[in-house]
Amino acid sequence: MVDLLIGIFLATLITALFTTRLYRLLMWYSLNSLSLGLLALLLGRSQHDGAMVASGVITLLLKAGAIPWILKRLSQRFALERRIVPNIRIQYAIMLVPAILVFTFYLAEPISHMVSGNANDVAISISSLFLALLLMMEHRNIAPKIVGFLAMENALFLLGTTATGGMPMLVELGIFFDLLMAIVVINLLLRREEVRR
Amino acid sequence: MSLYLLTILLLLLIAPLLLGTIKALKMWLLFKRPLSPLQGYRDAAKLLRKETVLSEEASVVTRIGPFLVLAPLLIVLFFLPPAARGAWYVSFVDAFTLTGLMALSTFFLMLLGLDGASSFGGIGASREAFIAALAEPAMVLTIFAVSMMAGDLGVGQAGANLARSFPTNHMASFLFAGISFFLLLLAENGRIPVDNPETHLELTMVHEAMILELGGVPLALVETAAAVKFVIFASLFASLFLPFGADLAWPLALALFVGKLFLVALVVALVEVHTAKLRLFKVPNLLGIAIVFAFLSLITFYVLGA
Repeated sequence: MVDLLIGIFLATLITALFTTRLYRLLMWYSLNSLSLGLLALLLGRSQHDGAMVASGVITLLLKAGAIPWILKRLSQRFALERRIVPNIRIQYAIMLVPAILVFTFYLAEPISHMVSGNANDVAISISSLFLALLLMMEHRNIAPKIVGFLAMENALFLLGTTATGGMPMLVELGIFFDLLMAIVVINLLLRREEVRR
Repeated sequence: MSLYLLTILLLLLIAPLLLGTIKALKMWLLFKRPLSPLQGYRDAAKLLRKETVLSEEASVVTRIGPFLVLAPLLIVLFFLPPAARGAWYVSFVDAFTLTGLMALSTFFLMLLGLDGASSFGGIGASREAFIAALAEPAMVLTIFAVSMMAGDLGVGQAGANLARSFPTNHMASFLFAGISFFLLLLAENGRIPVDNPETHLELTMVHEAMILELGGVPLALVETAAAVKFVIFASLFASLFLPFGADLAWPLALALFVGKLFLVALVVALVEVHTAKLRLFKVPNLLGIAIVFAFLSLITFYVLGA
């Protein structure tokens, strides 16, 4: 079950890389967070870790629900470009994505001896970190860059949950508030853009 | 033996029904008055009664082509994984053979399109070649990845192995292979994101353009071949990616298998209603995603074992 959820996590991220519509991208991000939240719930229940269950619930509510909704509202209000064409042409991305995956899978090999948990999850979370970076790099518009940033945070969260058996609750809460702050900052940024226009 | 033959016969019989069901479901979802799902049989019966008219330019290819389109697909039907435990199956046929046989059928379909000497046939054939060339590597990779996970290169044996013990610790690579195979199912059968099976608008059609010159019995044969191709893909999907329920008593297992085929048809109908047809030059992107997922499935299995 954990493997399936991790598979969905990576699959949604890869699909997001090839998306050219903003709302579709937000949907993929939401599904990505959904699988992450379910994974945290599952792991937390099997390890009897209340903190991880709580952070899973927060992930589900915040990242799968609230943040995509807020981003959609923001993009409607500021009339952001909804057609997002990647800078990297899709033919090259098709070659780049497997290259990144192979590279990171072998990169994670030495790390996997160090962690206690499942080594595959570490490899997949590192590769999704790189893919999220690619998502940020390949777009020129602001909205997909934001989504790429959020996806990168998701990948880090996955790394934290699977490799270390859950970060301390305080750190995770801090990260959640950071995310909300980032959304607020983005909101302010967009407002300034609007004033300048 | 009898169960093996019965399964093949059943698959052949329900092949037009599946395509008819997709069409009826789509019409129902679009608030049209649906056609009967049995329309495929009626069309075939009508076409079989009609006389055959051939183009003046047609050579011997047009006369034998329809049979050669259908024949490789009929052979593939014999190589499919078993639907119920205890049934016979051919264990040694691997991904390359299956893909090659289907490519042979596509090759003769393209020749058929070119042979009628109508310009649409040429357009359709070149487009079909374009799509098939991209779909086949992904198809080989996907089936190969799944058969590696099942522990046997033969597709029939792989299906039987999966039905016996599902590899739960390879779920991630299994999921990727499933996504890739579903995209290929849409592409190879000319469903909506790649080709619109209903339209006769010359700018968009692929499959219909190739068979525009045909009528009567040859057309019935080619239409049957399209239905059989869909049933092959659907049953491969059902036995490789939904491998449960083969342990039941054989009538139940067979019924469940047919139910899974209709489930695939339902999902295809939903996808068709919800997506627009892609421009032809965007089709490589879709198939590229299929190749990425197929490759990903293979390396996730090999490198990570997940």
